[in-house]
Amino acid sequence: MSTTTTTTSTATKLRSDQRRWAPYAFISPFFLLFTVFMLAPVGAGIYLSLTDWAGLGEPEFIGLANYSRLLGDASFGAALSNTAFYTLFAIIVVLPVSLSIALGLDARGLKLRDFFRLVYFMPVVLSPIIITLIFGLIFDGQYGLLNAVLEALFGFGGVSWLTDPMWARVVVVVLVLWRWTGYLTIFFLAGLQAIPRELHEAAELDGAGVVRRFFSVTLPQLRPVTAFIAVTMLVNTAQIFEEPFLLTQGGPGEATLSVSMFVYRAGFQRHELGYAAAAGVIMFVIVFVLGRIGTRAFGVGRTR
Amino acid sequence: MELNRRDLLKVLGLAGLGVAGGGALAACTTQGCATPVSSGDALLDLWTHDPGYATFFTAAATDAALVGGSAWSFGVDVTSIAPADIVSRLITQAVAQRPLPQLAGLVIDQFPRVMRADIAENLFVDLTSLTEPLGDRLLKTQPYSVGGKVYALESDNSVSVMFYRADLFEQLGIPEDVDTWEELLEIGAGVAADTGQAIGMVANGDNGSIVNGFVQMLLQRGGSLYDADGNLTVVSEESVEVLELMAEGVRSGAFIALSDPYGGAAAAALKESQLIATVMPNWYEVYGLQANVPDQSGRWRARTIPRFAGGGHVGSTLGGTAFAVLKDQELTDAATDLLQRAYLSEEGQLARYHAGAYLPTLVELYQAPSFQQISDDYLGGQRVFEVYAAAAQDMPIFYQAAGASVLRDSLGGPILRAINGQIGAEAALTVGVAMYERQVQQ
Repeated sequence: MSTTTTTTSTATKLRSDQRRWAPYAFISPFFLLFTVFMLAPVGAGIYLSLTDWAGLGEPEFIGLANYSRLLGDASFGAALSNTAFYTLFAIIVVLPVSLSIALGLDARGLKLRDFFRLVYFMPVVLSPIIITLIFGLIFDGQYGLLNAVLEALFGFGGVSWLTDPMWARVVVVVLVLWRWTGYLTIFFLAGLQAIPRELHEAAELDGAGVVRRFFSVTLPQLRPVTAFIAVTMLVNTAQIFEEPFLLTQGGPGEATLSVSMFVYRAGFQRHELGYAAAAGVIMFVIVFVLGRIGTRAFGVGRTR
Repeated sequence: MELNRRDLLKVLGLAGLGVAGGGALAACTTQGCATPVSSGDALLDLWTHDPGYATFFTAAATDAALVGGSAWSFGVDVTSIAPADIVSRLITQAVAQRPLPQLAGLVIDQFPRVMRADIAENLFVDLTSLTEPLGDRLLKTQPYSVGGKVYALESDNSVSVMFYRADLFEQLGIPEDVDTWEELLEIGAGVAADTGQAIGMVANGDNGSIVNGFVQMLLQRGGSLYDADGNLTVVSEESVEVLELMAEGVRSGAFIALSDPYGGAAAAALKESQLIATVMPNWYEVYGLQANVPDQSGRWRARTIPRFAGGGHVGSTLGGTAFAVLKDQELTDAATDLLQRAYLSEEGQLARYHAGAYLPTLVELYQAPSFQQISDDYLGGQRVFEVYAAAAQDMPIFYQAAGASVLRDSLGGPILRAINGQIGAEAALTVGVAMYERQVQQ
């Protein structure tokens, strides 16, 4: 009697344990991968940021010295400022332009719609190497296409597009605009096509004009898409690397240096891996905070 | 035991940090020593960015004139890697205790990366015992030295000379033997005003090109970035004079400002005959002139660089690639033997010239008949070694230091502003050096 009770009790406990652990077993692959590929590198990066290490030998623990050095580093300040400029431009210019193009492509009766979609999406699938090579040819100060056109049309063409600090920044953001507008347009277009036509028709019957319909119907309906695009663009542009690296290598001087380029330069050109990690940690914090602010401001993930 | 998702995440996070920490600690050790092999087959792994070196070493490995009598039977397995990636991968492979090559080609501006934290000492064989007996006869060991020890042997002396369009010089009445920069600049200003053509170029694109162009002229003038002990010497009368001359050249039109001296803009300037002369190292003839304007074959000539009125040299140097031997490997001795035979013998240096026009580093070879007899068809059949010999005899010494890449980034912007006339030469150099010192001291 007692043995039977014990056996039953053990079996019950086993089933209970299985039920308790089974969900964790099912979700464990994600957590394992997340740990190996996210938490561990982040942890190692934070540890590295507290050391002085050139790559060989033993890292020397130096506490917060790398962070205090970053605070006084004019190059890092320039990189932060440039990155802020790129990010602001992406949000203020690229997003509205993408939406405008999407509205154009969504217009009824538009001919060659697929062709236009292809054209706008093409920069996304082109190699950045090719893009920057062509941009270099267009914006070259001496022999560039743009200066030649300006010279022919307006009689002046001596703009140092890539060698003047201000113009070099402008060219980088033009490249960002050209490269990413089409990509974002596709998202907006998908959002626009999901808006029920009846809403526009109802607004039209109520006497709303084109502008009123845009602000009262289109924009509110696009809010989830806009929020996703804005946050994604914010986070991506804050980590911009390819465009300035390939087009200007951060120059002239450090006029187009981004934070990602700063990290790359410190880590892989100067072998200051601890310093690079500290800059990377700061960039991570900034991007994380901006992402959170953006997510909250745009209400990403909230139910309507 | 109660376990929720948050606890599970914490446990896994701690485990991950443990794994990362363990990995980091394991990475702190460098590769252990392998038992050296003293003879037999030696298939050497070689990393380089330049197909010319790949061709040369592959041929040299089986060339009886070079490797005859060696205890090893050589073979070479080449891996092509971009210049910056070679150093990065050498370090990461060493840290991860993964296989390293026996020979690695290091571009000169990448070498400062291994000058800090004993990286060169830990990775490479000290080749001083090979170079010391040659004394001053062996050129360009200084840029690849750390603490007085030589860790790589230069492949190409990279002697800078002035290439010029002989046909256009004649047409424009420019003497081919102008003695000083000051005279040539005056003539160049007149030519620019009349025809819009330039007798030189300065780079105004990336920091590397801007500073390289400045350094080439600075070395010729007798100045330098660093002294033999690695102390910064960039703020000097010579530097100011050179920068002022560059700015004056751009202002007068004698020099054309190009974003990339090796790219599309330079090619266009050459094709349109807007750039009719330029001071560049010997390799520019192949990679710059012959590559971009093969149709101008026979019209170009080379001469030594006009001196500065204030003194200096008739030669200079820019660029270069040296080969280092990775230490503590089975075939380290074999690689050292092949490098010595290929790089420190007359036969090897002649073979290198024929493989890729790489100039010898043994100074007496410039006078050797085997080199003096060489004529260059692209340069109108000119006996180029008459020019290279004069330049090599008077070539300035180039020193590097661990902070060279910081200096390049610090000086690039101010030098560009000085070239554009936005700031004075001395002020530009002072600003650049102040920025450099802030970063290096920190």
